[in-house]
Amino acid sequence: MAGKVVTITSGKGGVGKTTTTANLSAALAIAGKKVVAIDADIGLRNLDVVMGLENRIVYDLVDVVEGTCRLKQALIRDKRVEGLYLIPAAQTRDKTAVSPEDMIALCDELRQEFDFILIDSPAGIEQGFKNAMSPADRVLIVTTPEISAVRDADRIIGLLEAAGKGPGDLIINRLRADMVQRGDMLDISDVVDVLAIKLIGVIPDDESIIISTNKGVPVIFENNSRASTAFKNISRRLNGEDVPFLNLQPEASFFQKLARFWNGG
Amino acid sequence: MAPERVIIKGTSNGIIVTIGAGNWKTILRQLAQKLEQRSSFFKGGRVAVAVGERLLNEEELEALGVLLAEHHMTLWAVYSNAPDTQAAAKALGLEAEPANAPAVAQKTGRAARTPPTEPTENVTTIRRTLRSGQTVESLGNVVVIGDVNPGAVIKAGGYVIIWGNLRGTVYAGAVSPENAFVAALELKPVQLIIGDAIARAPADERRRTIIPEIAFVQDGQIVAEAWRKK
Repeated sequence: MAGKVVTITSGKGGVGKTTTTANLSAALAIAGKKVVAIDADIGLRNLDVVMGLENRIVYDLVDVVEGTCRLKQALIRDKRVEGLYLIPAAQTRDKTAVSPEDMIALCDELRQEFDFILIDSPAGIEQGFKNAMSPADRVLIVTTPEISAVRDADRIIGLLEAAGKGPGDLIINRLRADMVQRGDMLDISDVVDVLAIKLIGVIPDDESIIISTNKGVPVIFENNSRASTAFKNISRRLNGEDVPFLNLQPEASFFQKLARFWNGG
Repeated sequence: MAPERVIIKGTSNGIIVTIGAGNWKTILRQLAQKLEQRSSFFKGGRVAVAVGERLLNEEELEALGVLLAEHHMTLWAVYSNAPDTQAAAKALGLEAEPANAPAVAQKTGRAARTPPTEPTENVTTIRRTLRSGQTVESLGNVVVIGDVNPGAVIKAGGYVIIWGNLRGTVYAGAVSPENAFVAALELKPVQLIIGDAIARAPADERRRTIIPEIAFVQDGQIVAEAWRKK
């Protein structure tokens, strides 16, 4: 078995890398895959909190790399679903505690045992980003429909291309259909037009994400909101399935639907 | 440990690679290693090499140019005190100046704006999208087959043609402003500089029809018009 390493990155902070990593990991595990999520944001760890596993941390990524513990000891098992594990980041160190070579070696070891290795990249384009990027077979770039986030995503894609990691796949997060309709927000085609890479998912803005993040339960475990369906669809696409994109239009009235039907759309 | 024979320095006038004494092959290997380590940093830059008294023929200079091109950098000038090396550089269409030139250029920071005696007709062709943070510099002309995104910068001695959307920044006509122009399938630059004239894309029209446009200088101002056969 040779697992796939998928790195989730964005350039800009706060666009939803960690939430995406947590939910995609959970979704893949629910689908029966063996998954490990790695928090590469050393010094500013978050993934454990979002996944609700903070109180189970004994060893972390830096301990593994420095040989303070065995790899198995740092793997925290998520009891909510079969086959989901986390390697948390160290909180007391910084990005220089790990090198790209360390990450490649670690992932090569994990590949033997897991179907998917998801790496939550820190924001920025420095050492932490390089660590997260070096072992990747595939890169997901998260952006929100904001000019600044799109600009940073563009920079990241340029760096990925230069490093021979391909252009990556795009996730547009926190889309608000009502604002797009009013012309107050970039729409999907505006973003894809500039970045010119393949879109793998669109996640609607959803309050339930904030609630679930604060509870430490990835939204995908909790309910069937549109955001959790969107995450599930991305995980299926990662698995190679061809899943149609969600219709993110605001709920239309019967007559609007009828008109849309007439107009062939 | 082999002594450091290659020094790479970024200056306001592009990247300067200073090459010391020693076997040419060893030096190319050292340079390749250094570029490998820091390639993303130098990417898209233009490079002048300072080789001192070293004698280099066209072949050796070409190998150097190819190595730099592999790392997405453009060799544009050779600083040398050896007349033979200067001649070889000129034969390859490179700028050739005495070895003490870079020091002067660094001090004054004006070299980039000093027109060479003859404007080059070289065309640098880029076959990809230029993304935020990527820069292309050329003393000659630049053609991009792809988009130029916001945050990307093109600096050209002559004209710039973009077979795609121009949303970034372009300086054209840095060397020969007389006949410089900027043409793109969609002309919506963050900033456009041709020679000494500067302009921005009009901000108001959000959903106008998109047509290819060409911008040039007329009476000291940049004007844009539909790009069609004349």
